Amino acid sequence: MRSHKVIEIRNLTPSTYIIRMEKNDFTFKTGQYITLGFSGSIDRREYSIYSSEQDDYLEVLIKEVEDGLVSKKLKRCKSGDYLDIDGPFGHFSLKENEISKKKFLFIATGTGISPIHSFIATHPDMDYQLLHGVRKEEEAYERESYQNNNYILCTSREKSGDFHGRVTDYLKQNPVPSDTVCYLCGNCHMIYEAYDILEKQGINLGPIHTEVYF
Amino acid sequence: MKKVAFKTLGCRLNQYETDAIASQFQDNGFKLVPFDKEADVYVINSCTVTHQSDHKSRNFINQANRKNPDSVLVVTGCMANNAKTELENRDEINYVVENDQKSSVYSLVEAHYNGEIFHPTKLNTDLFSYGSTDKGFHTRSMVKIQDGCDNFCTFCIIPSVRGRAVSRPIQDILDNVKRVVATGAKEVVLTGVNIGRYEYENYKFDDVVEQILELDGDFRLRISSIEPDGFGDKFLGLLNHPKMTPHLHLCLQSGSDSILLQMRRMYNIKRFKEIANKIRSVRPNFNITTDIIIGFPGESDQDFEDTCNIIQELKFGHVHAFKYSIRKGTRAERMNQHIDERIKSNRSEILRNISENVKADYRKGFIGKYQTVLVEKIIGSEAQGYGESYVPVKFSGVNLKKNQFYRVKISSIDFNGEPTLIGVSD
Repeated sequence: MRSHKVIEIRNLTPSTYIIRMEKNDFTFKTGQYITLGFSGSIDRREYSIYSSEQDDYLEVLIKEVEDGLVSKKLKRCKSGDYLDIDGPFGHFSLKENEISKKKFLFIATGTGISPIHSFIATHPDMDYQLLHGVRKEEEAYERESYQNNNYILCTSREKSGDFHGRVTDYLKQNPVPSDTVCYLCGNCHMIYEAYDILEKQGINLGPIHTEVYF
Repeated sequence: MKKVAFKTLGCRLNQYETDAIASQFQDNGFKLVPFDKEADVYVINSCTVTHQSDHKSRNFINQANRKNPDSVLVVTGCMANNAKTELENRDEINYVVENDQKSSVYSLVEAHYNGEIFHPTKLNTDLFSYGSTDKGFHTRSMVKIQDGCDNFCTFCIIPSVRGRAVSRPIQDILDNVKRVVATGAKEVVLTGVNIGRYEYENYKFDDVVEQILELDGDFRLRISSIEPDGFGDKFLGLLNHPKMTPHLHLCLQSGSDSILLQMRRMYNIKRFKEIANKIRSVRPNFNITTDIIIGFPGESDQDFEDTCNIIQELKFGHVHAFKYSIRKGTRAERMNQHIDERIKSNRSEILRNISENVKADYRKGFIGKYQTVLVEKIIGSEAQGYGESYVPVKFSGVNLKKNQFYRVKISSIDFNGEPTLIGVSD
């Protein structure tokens, strides 16, 4: 476990925020997650790393959970506070030999976009399309980070996005070329359904590139 | 001569570690006695994977203390990590030794008898420094290749108590295998927490298996428990090697894709079936055994039915099923829709019946065929052991010897208790 000093908190919506911390000598592979909690506290939660491998800071994207214990406390942390980090963990990673050669489809719901943001920030030249499923447009967290034509916002509760409906509706209407490498991150139902749709469209998903958010 | 007794709970890795510690005690003049006998030293190698494992560990602590209140009582294993404070507060326990210091149990006891005070920081924390297991409890020689796990399945406490994944240098593994084979081991079992994730320098799990299979000697290789996400086609190809035993304990956990996702397992049912079918396409009688968790949060009747169906479809040779229990600090602890204990018990009963029928059918398939049995026990003129498919076999003969291979033709099955193949040796 290492202690990292908080640099700043960036509020994206009333309930979603980014904590930026000093990186120190922490290294990770883009797509991995850490567990985070206040120094000395036993209460910890898992968060995918939002920042890139080469950034000299470490960021996590957090949604405050109603009745949640840790996400509420973390929202109140201030610059100069110390947070304990354990990790990195996880196998939700890009394959080095595919990054510059393949076309990628990233499908994320809500804050499940966090490791995808890290992928793209780490490898900005990769050929990708990103489907981001949210309820409302305000949840298009820092969409300016992505090349405009590559980011498709799917909004389910209002018509303000690029597509009105769920990411799975978009997928059904817009079949994916079979040589696309797909990464899915978000809630279990989306992954379950999207996986089926992609498979029916002829995508050989091979080892599953999925990360479930709860 | 001082007497030492061991009790091991849980996984094969624990069994291996107990074997190694027991051998060290015996090498230093201790007599090994059964756990229910009076001993000077009791070592409990605990498990904490379920609520029931904790319960059993506590019972054995009480049992040891009742048998000899003046004994040196050592508790190690995963419960020692997970409930350290609770155990340290129990007066009857002399030492609580965490997993990473387990290989030092003998040194600790020796120091105790020498009147020395051994500070925990002085204990060896090398996860691979166990000695030989030649005087342990098993005929099969276990070789530890890996420890810890980074998968963080949502139900599992093991990454917290065994720590991050660490792999043993490949040359150490090969030397260890050569050593045990040279001292007479006929069956080598690879153990670890998540052996499929072996990674040392550029060597992966299949490289380790390949290099062991290329070693000289009259031995066979058995893979213990493995996760379905930890290997590829190269490993599946190695399963056809003549030294490789046709048995894998491939952990499924649930037959429902939705539950597997919530468990954060890194495969789906389709992939699991592909693996099983690929293996059986070459060796139809290949024994695939598995673990199933019953009543994971949110497990619906349909999810459970899917699990029952896949057990029948894939004809598992054995199903180790256990009811889900909350492990503190895991992600599943905070999930909604925890399943009522009565429902879990009902489902356990249903699944147990299905598994036993499937197991019996699987074992009937051996009648009329041969198994190469490694003899572990001889009672009169009857020998007992396991065939290459990891199915128990009993047979009669003359001049039978322990730790020898016998080619046995299977003629029937004894269904009294664990279904055991009955045969005669060639």
